[in-house]
Amino acid sequence: MDPKPTESPIHASLAVDESNSMIRVHEDQATEQPSTAWRILTNFHGGFFRICLSLSSQAVLWKTLIQPTDDHHALRHALRVLPNAAFTLLWSIALVMLALLSSLYALKCLFQFEKVKAEFLHHVGVHYLFVPWMSSLLLLQSTPFTESRNAGQIMWWVFVIPIITLDVKIYGQWFTKGKRLLSKAANPTSQLSVMANLVGARAAIYMGWKELALCLFSTGMAHYLVLFVTLYQRLPGSNGLPVMLRPVFFLFIATPSMASLAWGSINGSFDTASKMLFSLSLFLFLSLASRPTLFIKSMRRFSVAWWAYSFPITILAVASVDYARAAKGGAAHALMLLLTLVSVLVCFALVAFTALNVHKLFLGTNNLAGNVSSNTATA
Amino acid sequence: MSDRAFICKQNHAIEARSFVAISQNRLASALKKGPESYQHSEPHKTRAVSHCLAHWLSMEIGDSRGFTNTEALPSLIEIVSMNQVAGFDTIEGNDSFSDHPQPKIYQFFCGEAETTAGRSWGDADQPKGCHRVHSVSISMLPSPLGHYLPSPETVILNDHGQNLYSREVENASSASEPAVNMHAKFYSQPIPKGITNVEDSKSMQFPHHQEVPLRNPRNNRMRDTRFDSFKTRSGKIERQLSRLRGKPVELVPESKSTQLENEALPVDRYFDALEGPELDTLRPSEEPVFPEDRKWPFLLRYPVSSFGICLGTSSQAILWKTLATSLSMKFLHLSLTINLVLWCISVAVVALVATIYSLKIIVYFEAVRREYYHPVRVNFFFAPWIALLFLALGVPSAVTDRLPTALWYALMAPIFCLELKIYGQWMSGGQRRLSKVANPSNHLAIVGNFVGALLGASMGLKEGPIFFFAVGLAHYTVLFVTLYQRLPTNETLPKELHPVFFLFVAAPSVASLAWAKIHGSFDYGSRIAYFIALFLYFSLAVRVNFFRGFRFSIAWWAYTFPMTGAAIATIRYANEVTNIFTRTLAIILSSVSSLTVLALLLTTIVHAFVLRDLFPNDIAIAISNTPLKPRRRWFHLRPDSSDAKQIENYLKFLSADPKKAESSVKSDGDDIESSSINGRG
Repeated sequence: MDPKPTESPIHASLAVDESNSMIRVHEDQATEQPSTAWRILTNFHGGFFRICLSLSSQAVLWKTLIQPTDDHHALRHALRVLPNAAFTLLWSIALVMLALLSSLYALKCLFQFEKVKAEFLHHVGVHYLFVPWMSSLLLLQSTPFTESRNAGQIMWWVFVIPIITLDVKIYGQWFTKGKRLLSKAANPTSQLSVMANLVGARAAIYMGWKELALCLFSTGMAHYLVLFVTLYQRLPGSNGLPVMLRPVFFLFIATPSMASLAWGSINGSFDTASKMLFSLSLFLFLSLASRPTLFIKSMRRFSVAWWAYSFPITILAVASVDYARAAKGGAAHALMLLLTLVSVLVCFALVAFTALNVHKLFLGTNNLAGNVSSNTATA
Repeated sequence: MSDRAFICKQNHAIEARSFVAISQNRLASALKKGPESYQHSEPHKTRAVSHCLAHWLSMEIGDSRGFTNTEALPSLIEIVSMNQVAGFDTIEGNDSFSDHPQPKIYQFFCGEAETTAGRSWGDADQPKGCHRVHSVSISMLPSPLGHYLPSPETVILNDHGQNLYSREVENASSASEPAVNMHAKFYSQPIPKGITNVEDSKSMQFPHHQEVPLRNPRNNRMRDTRFDSFKTRSGKIERQLSRLRGKPVELVPESKSTQLENEALPVDRYFDALEGPELDTLRPSEEPVFPEDRKWPFLLRYPVSSFGICLGTSSQAILWKTLATSLSMKFLHLSLTINLVLWCISVAVVALVATIYSLKIIVYFEAVRREYYHPVRVNFFFAPWIALLFLALGVPSAVTDRLPTALWYALMAPIFCLELKIYGQWMSGGQRRLSKVANPSNHLAIVGNFVGALLGASMGLKEGPIFFFAVGLAHYTVLFVTLYQRLPTNETLPKELHPVFFLFVAAPSVASLAWAKIHGSFDYGSRIAYFIALFLYFSLAVRVNFFRGFRFSIAWWAYTFPMTGAAIATIRYANEVTNIFTRTLAIILSSVSSLTVLALLLTTIVHAFVLRDLFPNDIAIAISNTPLKPRRRWFHLRPDSSDAKQIENYLKFLSADPKKAESSVKSDGDDIESSSINGRG
């Protein structure tokens, strides 16, 4: 699977985490409380932040739907009737979830630093380090509270600086040092780094910083171009994804959608460039949706990788809302309704699955896992 | 046509057998080629050889020191008289080879005509009684067996040849065969004209092979006329004349100088022989054409990358002009005099550098040609024109305010022609495809478009600048992606950080300026390009402590102008978004660029006048045509990546291009053969 001996155990552990090894029966889990907590930490990894990302993107979708708009189409108005309280609840759940998983990850950093380091060096794992910051930025731009702008701006910097640092680290490695060759390391999750830039750009517009937004946007898009070509080329020698991680192919959808949203925000209107990016995203969605065989293998057993479906569809739905407002057609609004429904349904289904399988995911029945289960159940 | 006779002089029968088998393989692979190449390359030799090779053969065999079992066979020619042995060097049923273009039976000997140093042809026994009418054979001096063979139906390998194999195979194969493999061409080997006549053979003095150290022929040549082979009017014409006259003076192995003058070095040779981020260091396995331990003539050491100095200084002139005239930088109160001084210095530098280089073109045209074929150096041929564009951009208002638009056309014409050549190579150029030659210095080939667009737009032109901008943008996209991917086929990419990476900053920053000029305002397009440049700059700047431990080279000058470009773009951006941060950034970047140029100037002065090694021997142009040690290679692996998986990948790459794959497999096969021969010798 992986030619480099340094990476292979990590790769294996990630793949194993994501896959069926959780089924292994651990007899001692009830008797030995500390080892259970330890096992939870061991089983926890950056991939779990997909849950936060999906929930916060749902919050963005709902915020977009309920906010007042100049779109006078009937369908749009129908969607506006969503209760405000539901949105606030969703947002709070997402926030709690993020806080919870972040603290769990902080604990992991503290106690199992070696594993975090291994994740950082892994060509899939490193990109999930972007995700908590992305989720925070999504929550920041969809906040239901009208707090002072200064606080938001400070928060923005707090969330964006890690992203920029990771960018410099990863992108710099791509083109300068031969350590992490793009032609080898590129995989669909690499798009998370691009998306982090785009999310940051969109949030910067909310903070009123156009130049910073443009800066993040250009950085992201330049590397998206490189990444898109490289991923499409599927160069021989690139590390393939394990079967269980196939759902992350959906990230192909998310990047152009996010780009169209970010450009729409920067430009002030959903113009031709945004529409083109949205069309690309829609095409990629159809292309992936028409290939269920690609995902069947990974759908046999629940894993946290399933959450990778939710975020891209949700972002596509958000983009479709903007698109419908700009295109002003019945078809566009029908598309918006369809995508919104799909995204909400997928999200709820995933919540249900997670609630059912939370024991398997964390391999424990202690407090932390209980909290997670209760939260996800209420969501 | 001709048939071939290869005499295998060999000590041990087993070795001989395997060698014969190898030759057979090679023959089989070469048979497809047909006889044309041979006919084409040396028509005169065919006849000569056909008449006399029995004689020649006997000379060879008669060389008493050619065998180790020589004492046992005092006079071989009498023991193995060719006519007595059926099938030995004869073609049965053939009256003359020209009547029977496709003979049924071939006799193969492994030709080993070269003797080791110190052994002379002269002391070989003169042939006796070697009068055969129909024996037709050609003594093959070391050369691929392949290209001259008509397609025979039968191949008979003679056992007599087996004990005739001698150790010189190694010399022969290592010296000449790989070259021929690479060129798929046969360079004529010295065959004395005198032996065309059997009757005259006794009176003929065999020419002076003993004077030629065959192991390394070029050394001898160098002793006489060291650097003449690169001279524009070197002995080439004289050699041709003497060949016309039929003089047998061409015994000096002409391969070296003739080849390098007649043949462009294939790009693979550069990759095989050189290493380093600028492809200017000789690999340990290689030997340069010129002596390494001695200083070469100045012009030979003067590389085209010297034009980098022009880029560095003239871009500084633009920077100081922009600093003095920009609204956002008004608070600095800089004078335009600095611009004037810098501009005059730049003009002087450009004139000086260009004069010296044109001298090189005149005197050592071959060296210039080799620089042009060098995969990294070729990009520096854009540098003089870009420097002139910079001079036009930075022209002080004291000199002129309006430049004639004809100047723009005059400057863009050579850039356009070079681009036609270079981009065409990327697109369809066989060996020089982008996935192989991509290197950060390719940005020099891109940035000319944007600089040209910038100059044209500031002159008030409209369509021309947009044309160059579009061309530049399209190819920049391709190059950007390719460089980022760092494909495994990409050999020239530096594995560690190197100043050449700063060229990454050049294209987007100049593109942002150019677009702003074309569009009239520093709009989204300009800003996107500018921010990309800024990110790349930042990404390199945080790694700056890794930029150490590199040998200084004059090419570093070329890597300063991206910094200057980024500084100018920042000033332009600060004009649009004027605040304390952008102003600070503009000042920081400007001072960084100026200080870098200053530091480089000091380093250059130190190297020029104190250490006196500003222009070290330019190894990059002095690689030999032929690899000394034939190595087994697979489509140019990186030296450190020879594991099986990657080999498989390269083969996958190859399979996209069946023709290329075939040829590479073929040459590979040849390499294996020669190396196996080598191993035995």
